Amino acid sequence: MISLASDLVSGNAIKTKKKKLAGFRLQEQRLGYLFILPFAVGFLIFHATPALISFVISVTNMRFLSNTADLKFIGLQNFIEMFRDQEVMAALGRSFLYSALYVPIIVLLGLLMAVLINCRIYARGILRTSLFMPYISNMVAIAIIWSVILDYKDGPVNQLLRALGCENPPLWLMGEHTALPTIVLIAAWQGVGLYMVTYLAALQNVPKELYEAATLDGAGAFKRFVHITVPLISPTTFFLIITAIIGSFQNFGIIQVLTKGGPGEASTTMAISVYKASFEQYRMGYATAQAMVLFAIILVFTVIQWKGQRKWVTYD
Amino acid sequence: MIERHRAKRKETWRSIVLTALTAVLALCCIFPFLFMISSSFKPLGQMFEYPFRLIPSRPILGNYEQLFLNGQLFPRWYVNTLVMACLTLVIKTAVICLTAYAFAKLEFKGKNVIFLVFLSSLMVPGDVTLVQRYIVYKHLHLTNTMWALILPASVDMYFVFMMRQFFMGIPQALTESAIIDGCSHLKIFQKIMIPLAKPAILTMVLFSFVWQWNDYTNPYIFITDTSRQMLSVGLTMFQISQVNNYAVQMAGATLALLPIILIYLFLQKYFIEGIATSGMKG
Repeated sequence: MISLASDLVSGNAIKTKKKKLAGFRLQEQRLGYLFILPFAVGFLIFHATPALISFVISVTNMRFLSNTADLKFIGLQNFIEMFRDQEVMAALGRSFLYSALYVPIIVLLGLLMAVLINCRIYARGILRTSLFMPYISNMVAIAIIWSVILDYKDGPVNQLLRALGCENPPLWLMGEHTALPTIVLIAAWQGVGLYMVTYLAALQNVPKELYEAATLDGAGAFKRFVHITVPLISPTTFFLIITAIIGSFQNFGIIQVLTKGGPGEASTTMAISVYKASFEQYRMGYATAQAMVLFAIILVFTVIQWKGQRKWVTYD
Repeated sequence: MIERHRAKRKETWRSIVLTALTAVLALCCIFPFLFMISSSFKPLGQMFEYPFRLIPSRPILGNYEQLFLNGQLFPRWYVNTLVMACLTLVIKTAVICLTAYAFAKLEFKGKNVIFLVFLSSLMVPGDVTLVQRYIVYKHLHLTNTMWALILPASVDMYFVFMMRQFFMGIPQALTESAIIDGCSHLKIFQKIMIPLAKPAILTMVLFSFVWQWNDYTNPYIFITDTSRQMLSVGLTMFQISQVNNYAVQMAGATLALLPIILIYLFLQKYFIEGIATSGMKG
């Protein structure tokens, strides 16, 4: 009896609860749209429009903005011209060279730092703070510091090299062959903190029992690293390699601030070439076509990353 | 007993060697900053003395004074950047939290499709749309104002994604009991969600501040007036107009880095944990 009564009471309670929630669902619809409205407007203006007009601009002969009178549709001419343009093709090659240098350096250095920090070392906090410091620093400030440190004549690095007996120390950022690799080193130096911290999180997720079991079986530190650590952190490695590739093609800021693509064309990558075509030669159509090629390259790796992430990383 | 002692000693030696190795790498990471601070207190003539001296023999403030001399735009750039970064934080936090909450906790038609469309914005990197954005901003009369930096930065799908994950982790029971108690959605958002999300919001605010403060490309492209310029780009102009005076540049660079380094040293937990838990973008 008593239980029946309490069932009735709670049944009523459930009914009113459902009513209240149903009223809420209606309110929810409108509120949902209202809440995303500011973002939606911003998305349309700042993301969708620039992306969509790329397709239009890239098939026109658009010169600088104001000149819309003789704007013409020229089909794929920009793309055809680009693949015949030796300067653009050289820039594309430099972009790949930049990427080929940057990716292994930053991923391996990040792994090395993470492994060291994860070992039993002293003053771990201070060391980790120092290693991460370049990552949050201002790129321009860093560029100024490094141009001084690597100054050909008076910089401390070349002074040291001369003192060690090197008669012709490298020209670093001023050298035709050294400019691009030097930029890569500075870029990797600045970015490596992110890779270290990401690897560190992965290393700390490797179950300790595995190491203990392997030690009991007589595996040395190196063997444990190769057979346990490397395979278990491989999803992170995959993620970081792709991140590094995608990041490496977006090198406009660091190059512009360090060398502006020089000396000569020595460090003019695709991103710099796009800038030069648009803001120096005012050929907006041609620049946009180049930007779309750059985008296509990055997109390939973005898709690989998203596909891989679904396979390897679980969001719960 | 002796065996154990020996093993322990071996362990200690290993730690010392590994610490030394890490310290060398750490030194490579912070030496440029030490060089910068040290040089900013030296007269130009002593800057390249060999061997390098970390503590200047007679520290001077002259380089800093030059930054603030009459007619220098350095203080102006500093204030511009500070105002721009703070405005971004306020607007961005509001926009992102509302959007993320809607996607996490509200039901409305087409939600998933809209989310995917928004997500596509992450696929288009900024370097690729410089020209196109310039054209759009120009037509909207946004170029040469700080809104060209603030508004686009506030529409950041990356943080919507992160905050949505966070809101989704808050149990539904909590919201439902609040509804029964007669709370409106707006109140739930204000009184329950936002307070719970504080650590996540802090991570977002910190990273956004640092990015805005450090940003070079956007002000370089979209701001043309020297007096309206931001600190990052200002520093490069300074570099050109003060062609030989590296010491003054170092003072400028030090002041540009100061707020970021202070924030980082005091709140580094939020930076590092923020990356570790969410896989921060590069």
